[in-house]
Amino acid sequence: MVKLTVNGKEVEVPGGTTILHAAAAAGFSIPTFCYNPRMDPAGSCRICAVELEDTKRTVMGCITQVSEGMKVLTESSKVHEARKTNLELLLLHHPLDCPVCDCGGECPLQNMSFSYGGSDSRFESHRNDEPEDMKSEVLVFNSNRCILCGKCVRICDEIQDVHAIGFINRGFDTVIGPPLGKKLDCEFCGDCMEVCPTGAITDRFVRYQFRPWQMERTETTCTSCSSGCRMVVDTENEAIVRISSKEGLGPNEGSICVVGRFGYSAVQSKSRLEIPHVKKAQRLVPTSWEEILPEISSRLSKIASTGPGRVAGLISSQLPLEDAFVFQRFMRQTLQSNFLDSEARQGLMNMAIPLVSATGSLRPLVDHEDILKADLIVVLGADPAVESNITGLAIKKAVRKNKAALYLVHGRDVSLSTRAREVIRLAPGYEAVFLRTLREILSSSAEDLSTEVKSRLERWGANPEAVLRLAKDMKSAKKTIFVTGRRFHRSNTGFEASSELIRLLAERNLLASDGSGLFVLPESGNDLGVLMMGGSSEWLPGLLDTKNSEQRSVWENHWNCKLPAGGGGLREIISGIESGEIRALISLGVDPLVFLPDTAHLKKILSKLELIVVADMFQGPLADMAHYLLPSASPFERSGHVVSAEGFVQPLAAAMAPWGNALTEGELVLRLATHMNQPLPFDNLAAVSSEIFRIFPDLRPSTRNAPYFQGKTGEILLATPRQQPPHKAERESVLSRVPAFLKQESLPLDEPKMGDPSKRGEDTFVLTLSKSINHAGTQTILDSNLMTIEGEGLLRVPRQWARKKKLKKGACVSVSTPHGRISLPIDPVAGMADGEVHFPFHFADARFMALFPGSFSFNAHSGAQSGQTIDVTVAPIV
Amino acid sequence: MAHSDNAATIHITDEEIDHICDEFGNREGAVVQILQTIQDKYGYVPAEVLERVGEDLGIPHSKMFGVLTFYSQFYREPRGKFILKVCVGTACHVRGAGLLVDKIKENLHIEEGENTEDMMFTLEPVSCLGSCALAPMAMVNGNTYGKLSGDKMVDLLKQFREEASGAEEAEAAPAS
Repeated sequence: MVKLTVNGKEVEVPGGTTILHAAAAAGFSIPTFCYNPRMDPAGSCRICAVELEDTKRTVMGCITQVSEGMKVLTESSKVHEARKTNLELLLLHHPLDCPVCDCGGECPLQNMSFSYGGSDSRFESHRNDEPEDMKSEVLVFNSNRCILCGKCVRICDEIQDVHAIGFINRGFDTVIGPPLGKKLDCEFCGDCMEVCPTGAITDRFVRYQFRPWQMERTETTCTSCSSGCRMVVDTENEAIVRISSKEGLGPNEGSICVVGRFGYSAVQSKSRLEIPHVKKAQRLVPTSWEEILPEISSRLSKIASTGPGRVAGLISSQLPLEDAFVFQRFMRQTLQSNFLDSEARQGLMNMAIPLVSATGSLRPLVDHEDILKADLIVVLGADPAVESNITGLAIKKAVRKNKAALYLVHGRDVSLSTRAREVIRLAPGYEAVFLRTLREILSSSAEDLSTEVKSRLERWGANPEAVLRLAKDMKSAKKTIFVTGRRFHRSNTGFEASSELIRLLAERNLLASDGSGLFVLPESGNDLGVLMMGGSSEWLPGLLDTKNSEQRSVWENHWNCKLPAGGGGLREIISGIESGEIRALISLGVDPLVFLPDTAHLKKILSKLELIVVADMFQGPLADMAHYLLPSASPFERSGHVVSAEGFVQPLAAAMAPWGNALTEGELVLRLATHMNQPLPFDNLAAVSSEIFRIFPDLRPSTRNAPYFQGKTGEILLATPRQQPPHKAERESVLSRVPAFLKQESLPLDEPKMGDPSKRGEDTFVLTLSKSINHAGTQTILDSNLMTIEGEGLLRVPRQWARKKKLKKGACVSVSTPHGRISLPIDPVAGMADGEVHFPFHFADARFMALFPGSFSFNAHSGAQSGQTIDVTVAPIV
Repeated sequence: MAHSDNAATIHITDEEIDHICDEFGNREGAVVQILQTIQDKYGYVPAEVLERVGEDLGIPHSKMFGVLTFYSQFYREPRGKFILKVCVGTACHVRGAGLLVDKIKENLHIEEGENTEDMMFTLEPVSCLGSCALAPMAMVNGNTYGKLSGDKMVDLLKQFREEASGAEEAEAAPAS
């Protein structure tokens, strides 16, 4: 510990602390431009000058470390003089165009000039007058306003690890921008704009359209993915103007991705549904809530009265806990049906079922903090930076700061690949057999792999050397974290692979040891929450088993009713509709016609339904078939709580009034129940929240870094309060179940019959559907901002193949299967395995889905959708 | 820049770059030396090589461009066969370096820093070459020419041109 005084106040801090932090500990704040607590200090802006009383020298507070007996003055006249001179120099070339600058009013440079600057300058000033860099459709670079603090370059390097921009030239000519004067080509997270202390980087979508002080600011949680980013929505006259975050806020610490920052235009576009519609003479005609709610409820009552299990329900995984809770209760109690499912059935269910059976919990026992401390991270079938951006940032930081060994098991390079110790290529569908082989390797004491194992791995496309290295690292690592994602969960053998993985972790005691474990990346904002609230046929709220009468009776007693035992998920719902047993379908934002192949067949089945009620924000294929189409509120128009991948329960806050006559799904369900004369005992959704928090105390709201930011520009609270997700205390109870799970018999595994990869022709590929970083779900293609960034679905093909065929980006190829043919533009991508192509699922329309076989299939164990990869032939169009 | 399309924009293969980077052990710290080697070999640093050098050394493209633009020694455009470094330092200036530069501009139809259309000459006034006794002087491809005048310069240019075409013929001869 080092003792020093700051402005006469004595303070003791650990050696190596900078003056900036020591002053903060003593309760004094020092102004900064280029400093950011998340990044290494640079000391380039010189505004944090402080005086050392003994030597009468000024030093930079953010980079100078304290020494014993140091006497620091943070507000002496010398310090003020230095800051004034600094500002004078910083403003020497600055255009001072604050009246027309988007940053005016929230500009640290402006504020600092106000606090410390002089009214005149001793120098003859030469105002910069370079034209702005308008090449990018997203961000505008104005070099005139730039003070070259380098924060944007550093956040792009150190936090985002994208390296899209850099310093160009030298001295007075230095500007910041993408290399070679090209158009900015990056992930468009916009973090550079967010940290810029001037208006040098501005948002082109809303340039000149706002003044910061005229907007209302609402803190809410993003539901586009499972990261649970806390963000700030700025609205003016009930319209979203822009979305940003705040330095250090939430689990994301102030970073948000392209979808979170720019994806707000669809929810306030003409494509939003404004009023309820009813089908009359094959056409959807506008109507009012007063007219149709009684109509829907009487039809539902009539159908439900014919017996249990006559109505099926589908619920979107983006909806908050409250809506999921009332919907499942409405389905089970009021409509007496357990035909209930959520979007998790598209993949995550493969992981959720074995995970709950092994641990009784869906929330991970490791969080981003643990990822930062891990020494081995194995990413299985996931592209973390794309699927859950903040988890991706945590992994990148772990590799950069903690030198964690990163292994990636994937068929292609993802943005993390360059950081990986090994990328193990694995064709889709081979995850389960791969993990069983890895278990074998780990349990053997042999130094090398047997020839049989080697040839097996080679057959699956995996490099035996890399696998051996992984096994060795696993044996020596102290803290190992496995991350699984979309590709892993959605694999044909996703359920088997998940069971194998949990076995592997349990056998190696990785579930029990602190800092090790499994981190699952769900696909939507509240996948975990909806399942925990009973949004699928398997579980009642609290993950109680619907098939177990004892567990069912817990809720039966609580709700004082009988609950149905049978029912099922999507697979059973479709066969129930086909057999005529299920006569009505309520869909809250789920459209099977979008994600299941063979739309014509499915349409035929769905047309048997007497009643289809769809609540959604936009039109869609299922909405077109609906008897009642109801406008629902967007995530920006509702309150509620969502569970992030880390397990935090964070609130949504309504930033604007519901669009048109839109209702939240929860409110809609409450009203329907009331009209059916079986009201649920909640006056509103706030009452539902209190009920949930009363029954499940561990679901009370929690977040990280809540009071991190103090609100005044340029002032950053340096002591970072950190919080863990509360459920991490459950470790003991989680582990008590594992031995029983291990005693269950291993599932029989067959090697997938996908043909020998070595016998494939060079134009034959396995096609997978992937997530693009610029979109989330299928409705963001209605978002004009995101469509500006990525406007069409490009087929990602291996670069080596494109070169061979002399095809450039955007060239059209014909993609065919025995079932259909489509022409698509391509994007040659480096680092893809031969024999694999992928396509962003957001753009997979009915024409695209026609490539898939004329039936849909489900995993036998989990009922999750399978058959999401197909063999295709790709040929250039001449 | 007077820069025509038929001017030799050099194509350097990835293998050539890999080879140069290998010679320096693919060390991040050798980036300036590697760029210098490329420039020595090809006369300038073509934009296309940056990405590959970056990949070899593990340096992001944006950083590579930062290095390239930071140092004035690196040229991003092709340059002429003969680099006319005309001294315009104090001593040369008083002995008429300005006239010398004007004569070159007039004769070759180029401005300072530009290439002739046939990519034969590049005019590059420099501050002082330390041979004030020879003022006004110029340095062309490492050879020093002192006590110049406008006419002498024109003769020199003609001589260089002949040299170049002679060399080309000599090059072409063994092939035929």
